[in-house]
Parts: sequence; structure tokens; C-alpha cells
Amino acid sequence: MKTHLLKLYMSELRNRRKKTALITFAIGWGALSLLLLMSFGRGMSETFSASFKGLGDNILIVYGGQTSKIHQGLPKGRRIRLYPEDVDLLRSRIPEIAEITPESFSRFEMRNGDRAVNRNVNGVNPCFGFMRNQIPQAGGRFVNDLDIDGSRRVVFLGWKVAEELFGDENPVGRRISLQRVPFTVIGVMKRKLQSSAYEGMDSDQVYIPFTTFLNLYSQRFVDRIHIQPEKREQSKWLEAEIRRVLGRKYRFDPKDEYANQIWNTVEGAEMSGKVFKGIEIFLAIIGGLTLLIGAVGVTNLMYAVVKERTREIGVKMALGAKRRHIVYQFLLEAMMIFVKGTMWGGLVAFNIVALVRMLPISYDVEGIAGYLLRPRFSADIFLLFVTVMGILVFMSGIFPALRASRLNPVDALRYE
Amino acid sequence: MIQLNDIRKVYQMGKLPFEALKGIDLTIESGEFVAVMGPSGSGKSTLMNIIGCLDTASSGEYHLDERNVAGLSFDQLSQVRNRKIGFVFQNFNLLPYATSFENVELPLLFNGKSAKQRKERVRELLDKVGLWEWHRHRPTELSGGQQQRIAIARALVNEPPILLADEPTGNLDSNSGREIMEIFQGLWEAGKTVIMVTHDNTVAGYAKRIVRLLDGRVENGRKSA
Ligand SMILES: Nc1ncnc2c1ncn2[C@@H]1O[C@H](COP(=O)(O)OP(=O)(O)OP(=O)(O)O)[C@@H](O)[C@H]1O
Ligand SMILES: [Mg+2]
Repeated sequence: MKTHLLKLYMSELRNRRKKTALITFAIGWGALSLLLLMSFGRGMSETFSASFKGLGDNILIVYGGQTSKIHQGLPKGRRIRLYPEDVDLLRSRIPEIAEITPESFSRFEMRNGDRAVNRNVNGVNPCFGFMRNQIPQAGGRFVNDLDIDGSRRVVFLGWKVAEELFGDENPVGRRISLQRVPFTVIGVMKRKLQSSAYEGMDSDQVYIPFTTFLNLYSQRFVDRIHIQPEKREQSKWLEAEIRRVLGRKYRFDPKDEYANQIWNTVEGAEMSGKVFKGIEIFLAIIGGLTLLIGAVGVTNLMYAVVKERTREIGVKMALGAKRRHIVYQFLLEAMMIFVKGTMWGGLVAFNIVALVRMLPISYDVEGIAGYLLRPRFSADIFLLFVTVMGILVFMSGIFPALRASRLNPVDALRYE
Repeated sequence: MIQLNDIRKVYQMGKLPFEALKGIDLTIESGEFVAVMGPSGSGKSTLMNIIGCLDTASSGEYHLDERNVAGLSFDQLSQVRNRKIGFVFQNFNLLPYATSFENVELPLLFNGKSAKQRKERVRELLDKVGLWEWHRHRPTELSGGQQQRIAIARALVNEPPILLADEPTGNLDSNSGREIMEIFQGLWEAGKTVIMVTHDNTVAGYAKRIVRLLDGRVENGRKSA
């Protein structure tokens, strides 16, 4: 279209601001509510998967147990315990195991000067850190291979323990005593959401090298073995393999789920993941329906806008407007209204999301705030909205515009 | 030159056809000043709309400057309206969301004139009708007489040879009406063909020829001295 006509049309639009305010607002409101709905849905889903990964992503936790079936003439009710050698046994028998670490714990007094608390001390290998998503805060680190080889007296603190013992001070490099044995703090766990746990949340634990744990506390058996399969899909199969290998060694029925209990987090994560995906889809459907209702309204308003201007169309025709000049004007009007409405709606939604995300959340299991206060405004949601709404507005603008352009000038002029 | 031969216009009123023009034969030479008169419903507006290419006849032939209008497309008719005909309406028909300047500029926009040409022409025309100082105002801020003068400026901005006016003074008081008629008089003197519809004998007095319509027919086809 020629730019000089564009200038006139824009100036007319400016003068019509009040007339088009309602439809602009309707589009803006649609954008706002849909974007918020989707952002909060997405946020819940993300928080969920983050907090599930808080315990560990894709891991199996293997415990001992008590036999519940008679096997090879042995009675039921036998106690089965796991030992450090089982870690090597499992690793050598099952090549599909990507990572494996023992974990043993004891509840000890830990002390920094006159500040003392009773918390779990866990002996683990270095891979435990990333398997369980325990990321050190800046300036610190997790237990490493050298710590293991040298049975060093180093300790990694859950963030709550760190706060209890050190308050606001930086614990890294400082000393604490565990059951009166001095340890050096090598790192503090970064805050994370965690939706499930055993023996308390990770924030309340401290971790030391497994070798150090054995040396100091002379507990022969291990409490748990953490295993990460190479592929997520192998988890179910791996459960059976673990029972087969351990069942042969300790002589229990591989089908006896009580002899050694296995917590398969992959399965749980998949289940709940589906639930949250379902919620997200549900919200999307609600959003889609909202959009549809909005679109009906917008189409109507757009139609009314064109109708109301039929006389003006007649005047323009009388003065020499060609068909396309008429169509362009209404498309332009539809487009400008759309852009303005979408911009406002998008901007407000974006800012609400940003503001809500600034609210503090607690990292406790019960913290529902973590689900509600971490909406995620994502570009794909916005793009989806722009596309769908754009098409609808275009259609609702083009049809009345075409109809108007086909009018006889006289009929358009006579229109009341 | 305007040549109408046996022009008929049939409106569909529900199921019944209604013939508003029943065979009009009329020739208007360039430079004439014609008043079309007749009782309400006699077909004056219908005739004007056909002459102005705002509407098409149901049958008959219309030659505008030797060219048969019947064969033209919508966009070609738009061009004819844009270059050859200026319209003045009873209710002014100014664009409500545009300023006086933009209203007068409109035919130039459809004619693809440059910004500089447009500015000069609009200024010239608004000066001519004495309303340049109102060029930033919108129609609602002007009196009826002023609006009609803006409309005349708009009708003339492309220098069309023909000016069509359907009851141009119908919505105006007698003073404003006289002003408008004096403008028309001047335009005719400057060589324009002026055709207007009116009920008012004083207004009709400005015209050099009166065409009387009655019930869809011309009562007097010939020039009246
Ligand atoms: N679009 C239309 N549909 C049906 N009938 C119409 C239409 N336009 C005009 N008519 C009829 O045609 C006849 C002539 O109408 P027209 O408007 O030409 O009269 P007119 O002479 O201009 O009257 P007035 O002095 O009241 O303006 C009238 O009977 C009118 O009802
Ligand atoms: Mg009339």
C-alpha cells in the first residue's frame, strides 16, 4: 500500500482510539489470561520435576530387608544386610549400571564452638553428589576421589546444618567436630526443591567420604546402595537384575521383594510427571476454550467496527478509492488493534510473572509456594498465542472488509 | 459531455420490481449549470447517482465524454469518480475521524499525488473556501456551512470538470446556502459543469437550465433559455 494512504489511515485510527478501546482491551485481556494460565501451569510442572530431581534423577535406592519366602530350605524372616563388597559385585555383574555408591549413616553430634546439633552423618562416594543432585554452592565442592583414597576428614554440609552451625558465616574451610573428631568443611549444598526423602531432607544431612566413615565408625554393613542405570528405561529391568545377583549371594528368592527393598525413583517420577503433564494439558485446553470464546467476541467486535464505518467506505469510494484501498484499511485496523492488545496483554503477563517469581519460596517438602510462585513465561506460549489470535483477528477483519469493499458506493453511502 | 439514452433504474422492493427511472433521455453539455427539480420520490437522487457513477443503470446507455460507462470495472469507475467528478452531498459526508486537511487531501491520495503537490493543492483549496485556519480541526468542530465548504474544497481538489451536488443547501440556513451558491456560481463561471438537485426555487435560480423530473421521467428535455 502506498505510504501516504497509510498515514491517513493511521491518523484515522488514532482518532478512533476510544471506539476501538473495547476490542483492544478484549484482545489484551485474552492474551493476559491465557499467558498467565499457561505460565503458571508450566511453572508447576517445572517445579515438580525440579523437586523430584531434588532426591535424584533416575536413581534406584537399594536397601537390605528380611526374607518373606522360604528359599533353598532357608526359613523366612532372615535378615539381609548389604556390605561394601556388594557395590563392586553389582558393578561387575551388571554392566548397565552407570553409577553406583554405598551410603551409610549414623546420627552424631556435630559442633562448631558452642553451637551443636544432632544430625545424620552419611558416608558416600563422589558420584553420590551429582546422582542426588547435590550441587555445591560457589566456593565449595563435594567429596572427591582424593578424599576417598586418603580417607580424609572432610565434610559437605546440607544448607540448613550450615546455617545452624555457622549462621551467616561462610563455613567452607572451617572446622567442625563430628562426635569430637575434627573435620574440615569442603562445601555447602545449594538450595534445591525436594519432594521426597528418607531419613530427613538433604538440607539436614552432612556427607563425608565413605572410607572415612568406615574407618571412624566401624559399621561393617552399608545402609543403602544408590544406583543409576545408563538408560532411564532400564530401571525396571535393573531391579530384577539386582535381586538376581544379590539373591544368589545371600540366597534369597529373587522374587522376594522384602529381602532387599528397592526404591525406584524413575517409576515414581514418570507417574507423577504424567500427572503434571496432564494438568498442563488440561490448562491448555481451558486456555484454548477461553481463546475460542474471546475469538468469537473479537470477531463480533471487528465486524461491528467495519459495519459502523460503511458510510465512510461509501464516501471513500465516491472520492475514488479502489477496492483494495478499502480492504487494506480494515486489515490495517484489525492488525493495529491486535498488535496493541497483544502487546499490552503480553507485557502485563510478563511483568506479573516476573514479579511473582521475585517472591521468596521455602524449600521444604510442604512448600506449596514453590509450585505457585514460580510461573514460567515462555516464548513458545506467547508465540502460540500470537499465531492463533493473529489468524483469528485477520479472518474476522478480512471478511467484513471484503464484504464492505464489494458494496455499491450508493448502498454504502446510504447505510445507516 | 453527459449523454443519457433511455436510462432506466429498477429497484427490487421485496418481491415487486419498482421502476424509479422510466427511460431518461438527457444531454448536458460541458460548462452547463443545471438544476434538477421535482417532487420527492421522482428519481432525482437516483439520476444523480447514475450520472456520478456511484450506481449503474438497469438499462439504457450512459456516455460520459463519449465513453460508455456501462463497460467499466469497479476500479475504473473509481478512477472516473476520482478525476472527472466532484461530489457535494446534502449531509456533507466528511470523514469523521479525519481533519479538514485530511478530508480535502483524500481524492489526491487516491490519485497518487506527491506530498508536496497535495500540500499545495489542499492549501489552495482551503484558502479558496476561506477555511485554511481550520485545517487541523475535525468535522464535528465545524458549523454546517463550514463543513459544506470543506466538502466543496474536497470535491474540487482533483480539478474535475463536473461538479454534482444533491441538495447541497438542504441542511443549511439561508445565509450559508447563499454562500455555497455563490461558490457554485463562481465555479460555473470558471468553466465547470455544475449539476445540482434542489427543492428551493431561489437556489434553482442560480442555474441556467432546469430539468424537471416527475415520476421517473423528464418533464422538459429541452433547454429553458
Ligand atoms: N435503494 C433503493 N431501493 C428501493 N427503492 C429505492 C431505492 N432508492 C430509491 N428508491 C425509490 O426510488 C424512488 C426515487 O428515489 P430518489 O431517492 O431518486 O428520489 P428523489 O427524487 O431524490 O427524492 P427526494 O427529493 O426525497 O430526495 C423513490 O420512490 C424511492 O423510494
Ligand atoms: Mg433525493
